[in-house]
Amino acid sequence: MTQGRGVKVLVSMIGLDSHTTGAQVVATLLRDAGFEVVYLGVNQTPEMIVNAALQEDVDVIGISSHASNFSLIEELMRRVRQNGLADVPVVCGGNIPPNQLDRLKALGIARFFPPGSPGSAIIEYLAAQGRGTDA
Amino acid sequence: MKYATDYGYEIKPVYGPADVQELDYARDLGDPGQFPYTRGYHANGYRSRLWTRRMTAGLGSSRDANRVLKKYREMGQTGGLCVIHDRPSSSCIDADHPIARRENGVLGWPGSSLHEFEELMEDIPLTGQSITLLGCCAPSALRLAYVVALAEKRGIDIHAVHGSVTESPFSNPFGQTDLQPFDLDMKLFLDSSEYILRNRIRMRTGLVGQHFQESGGNNAQVLAIELSMLKEVVSRLVNERGIEFDDVMRLPYQLVSIGTRFFEEIAKVRALRRMWARMAKERFGAKSEKSCQLLIAVHTSGRTMTYQQPLNNIVRCAIQTLAGAAAGCTAIDNATLDNAHAEPSPLAALMSLNTQHIVAVETGVADVTDPLAGSYFVERLTNEVEAAGYRILAEIDARGGLVAAIASGYVEAMLKEEANRKFRELEAKERLVVGVNHLAIAPEEEPFRIPVQEVEASDAEAIAERVAAWKKTRDLARVEASLRRLHADAGRGDRFNLMPAIIDAVKGYATAGEVIGVIRLARGLKYDPFDMIRCPFRLN
Repeated sequence: MTQGRGVKVLVSMIGLDSHTTGAQVVATLLRDAGFEVVYLGVNQTPEMIVNAALQEDVDVIGISSHASNFSLIEELMRRVRQNGLADVPVVCGGNIPPNQLDRLKALGIARFFPPGSPGSAIIEYLAAQGRGTDA
Repeated sequence: MKYATDYGYEIKPVYGPADVQELDYARDLGDPGQFPYTRGYHANGYRSRLWTRRMTAGLGSSRDANRVLKKYREMGQTGGLCVIHDRPSSSCIDADHPIARRENGVLGWPGSSLHEFEELMEDIPLTGQSITLLGCCAPSALRLAYVVALAEKRGIDIHAVHGSVTESPFSNPFGQTDLQPFDLDMKLFLDSSEYILRNRIRMRTGLVGQHFQESGGNNAQVLAIELSMLKEVVSRLVNERGIEFDDVMRLPYQLVSIGTRFFEEIAKVRALRRMWARMAKERFGAKSEKSCQLLIAVHTSGRTMTYQQPLNNIVRCAIQTLAGAAAGCTAIDNATLDNAHAEPSPLAALMSLNTQHIVAVETGVADVTDPLAGSYFVERLTNEVEAAGYRILAEIDARGGLVAAIASGYVEAMLKEEANRKFRELEAKERLVVGVNHLAIAPEEEPFRIPVQEVEASDAEAIAERVAAWKKTRDLARVEASLRRLHADAGRGDRFNLMPAIIDAVKGYATAGEVIGVIRLARGLKYDPFDMIRCPFRLN
């Protein structure tokens, strides 16, 4: 698969959440589709995620969330803007209750993929986010 | 559609005598109460004692969780309570830690000190029901200390308390990371286990196969993991702590996940009973029949609870509960209809507990022991999952046991491959899930919006503020003295049991972060796993 060629995606857990299965399955899905994936794993603070996004010069930030406390995602969005990454879409996947979604979208979350989202939808959306540096 | 079990056994359209012709009743099944205990441990089954019907509680502050526990008692949860730690206290960092401040009370109870446990248990008896506290290995020793300390404060003989508050270190590789190194977790686990056994406390320890399965593992793999966990833990207690095997077996219970593939789940539990009974006799030379009877509790599968059309989860939960009951388990705690959204709302908890009560008293499943025994299909499935489980167990053994197999990456790779395979099967619609990849509807057409329980950032911060203020009100000289003793004990090598010093520190209201931090220092680790705070005490 080549849909993801030239697109670099950061996939991370946030805070102390260690329900990693979803994030790992998505990371594999994306790699198989040709994306370059930076997987950070567990115990990542918003600051660590933004630093990694800067250092790795990623095209998209993907956050896996398991019914988490969403203020960590709020803080991430604030840091994304402060660090001049406003053009890097932040995508969330996982168990986010519908009533939190409006709040997160208002903060600038680009897309939310609930559990059970088809892989094709994730791939299609992310493939369109490449900045075309070497695509 | 795929006609196969999750571990790859092809299912035939019909089963008959030829499928079980090797089966020898006395050798392979036995009556309930007879070795190899495939059919269970009690001739009278649930007529002697129904399974413990419980819900896992824990969300918000300790007072919030206390209110929920009281509510559950009103809902008929009288046999035992079950509470899970929030993320910070699961990892033994305190609520006022910079990383914890936004996650206190999320997905659990902020149980980082005896003070919190006292609030959790206010006006709730420690005896007359089982006390189950879950949430990673690292806080296990603390939880045991809370129970010992509170029993003493209430003037209750600790031997009158029963339940399970400790957990094996094997949850870390399976999605329940607790920030502590494996060798430290194992040491604390062995210390708490030895303390329980030597003091003849009626407490079990959880070997949580559930975490492996909920991270994507299949039924055959999980049997192999569950047996190799038992092997590893039991061997260490026998060899390293010098405790007789038959004494050690008063300790473990398995927490097994049960999904929706009804017959396969029942077969798995029956196989687990038989496999352990044989291992206990053949490998460990069990002298007591009790040692061959592995206590099995069930958690119905959270990962099968869908985000889409959550009311459908009530049905899934009912099927899984019925499977758990037909399999003959000791206790069930249920997933809830809102499992993919948040911690259980009062409505979801009521539905889940009532599901159990309905299965218990209305279906007749509790009237007859091991009702599916002799079914060509179920007996064949039991044999198949057992054989597949033994093959994986041999692979783990060949790698030197579970600890070595985890260290080599073998277990992680197995789990990852399996999770990916499950995802591909859903994508290809080889497995159908109603509302997800079959008969899905648009989110805006969801016919019912469920109530959702949440912890706000301000709630988490309030827990942090309160803990920070409370810490200053303690007798700090007493806390420091107890931590100094603990630090000294922790320097005396892995075999030196830290439980007495931990209990002493907990009684003086030292917190989880302080207790584990001091032990970490004695082992040459940073006080704080994130290295953001320093030890505030003078230790020498």
